Formats: sequence, C-alpha cells, structure tokens
Amino acid sequence: MSMMDPSEEFPEEDIQTIVKPAIAQLLNGVQFNPSKVNDWCNTIIDTCLKELQSLSKPYKYVITCVIMQKNGGGMTTSAACYWDGGKDGKTRVPFENDTMHCIVTVYGLSVNIDTKDDEV
Amino acid sequence: MPGAQPNLEPPPFSMKATQKRLEAIIKEVQEVNLGNDWKYTADDANVMTKKVSDEVKDRLRDLGLPRYKFLVQVVLGQKVGEGMHMGCRTLWDQDTDAYATVTHGNDDYFCTATAYGVYQY
Repeated sequence: MSMMDPSEEFPEEDIQTIVKPAIAQLLNGVQFNPSKVNDWCNTIIDTCLKELQSLSKPYKYVITCVIMQKNGGGMTTSAACYWDGGKDGKTRVPFENDTMHCIVTVYGLSVNIDTKDDEV
Repeated sequence: MPGAQPNLEPPPFSMKATQKRLEAIIKEVQEVNLGNDWKYTADDANVMTKKVSDEVKDRLRDLGLPRYKFLVQVVLGQKVGEGMHMGCRTLWDQDTDAYATVTHGNDDYFCTATAYGVYQY
C-alpha cells in the first residue's frame, strides 16, 4: 500500500522555475531577428531539458517552443493528451517583449519505476 | 494500488507508434477539417484548434496501440507576414517513442499539428 509520493508528482513549480529564467535571460529586450530565432529556440529548449534531466524524476519530457513576431496576426494553440490523468501533466510558460511572443510548453509523462520492496 | 508493473520489453513493430502512422492520421484530420479554403477568424480558430487536436487524439487512441500515451499540439495562425519559429526537444526512449509534425495551410492561415507517441514501461 503506498500513497502518492510527492517526489513522483509532476513537478510543475520546478519547471516554471527552470523555464522562466531560461527564456528571460535570452530574450529580454531583444528584437525579433529571423536569422537568430532558430538558435534562440534551440538554446532555450536545450537549457530547459538539461535542467529537467538533473531533477531526476521518473518522467519522460517533451518540450516545445513557439516564437512568433508581433505583427498583428492572430494565433491559437491547443493540446489534447491521452495519458495518465493522475501522474502526467503539462505546464505552459508564456513570455513576451515588445517585438515577439514566446510560448514554451513542457509535457511530463510518468514512467513506471520498478520499485522492489525488500523482503524482511 | 500502485501503478501496473513496468514492462521492460519494447513493443513489436506492429504495435509501435511510428512516425509514418502518426503523420498519416494528422494529414487526414487536417485535410478533412481545414481543407484549402478555410479563413482565419478568432472565434473559428478557437473552435477549430480544439476540434483538430481532439480528433487527432481520438484517432491515435483508436489505433489500439497498448501502453502508449499520446500528446497532440496544434498551432493555428494567421499569415500576415510575421516571422515564426517552432522547435521541440524530447527526453525519451528513441526505440519506442516517436513524433510527427505536419504543416497545412493556404495564403490566409497555417496550421501546424504535432503528435507525440510515448511508450509507458
């Protein structure tokens, strides 16, 4: 018999703490630049993924990053997930400055860990 | 009751979520729902993104692949000359997990739908 171990829950706050500074330090006060946007995307996601790995939680992660220039155009996003409602989760971290929007979404999918109780 | 026992064997190929399988479903759902003549309006877009993402998710579930979890993300935007870039990274098992992304659109809108299939051990 075991209750939901807090270390096994989807670490939503930890992810927010990791992603927000990763975006801000790269994009704060920066102008949208189409030749650099690829590198920004890669850097943000790579930084986040490395730090998520170091959390050492029993999760697989999917991180997506959308960077869009502010030009008056509309954009809508939606996500549908078929997963374990109790253990899996997602977090969305929006960011914007004068010239662009950046939305990073992190999905965490739990992995079964084989925990063998020692027999006494 | 704790979660089911982990199954450390990867699934056989016929039971894997492969990129081709995911891509075929996304393409079909986009073509049926959006086609070539759809125009972007804020209200319509709201309804349409949810519809497309739910439909892709339902069809992925109906593939009947055991022990797979699915994520579907749909981005629907208006083309007004803005620049946009999307990227993704995953931390998963290359042997069992896969993703597919398809971009559909015309001069007025673009719709990028991405589906991820993740195996639960």
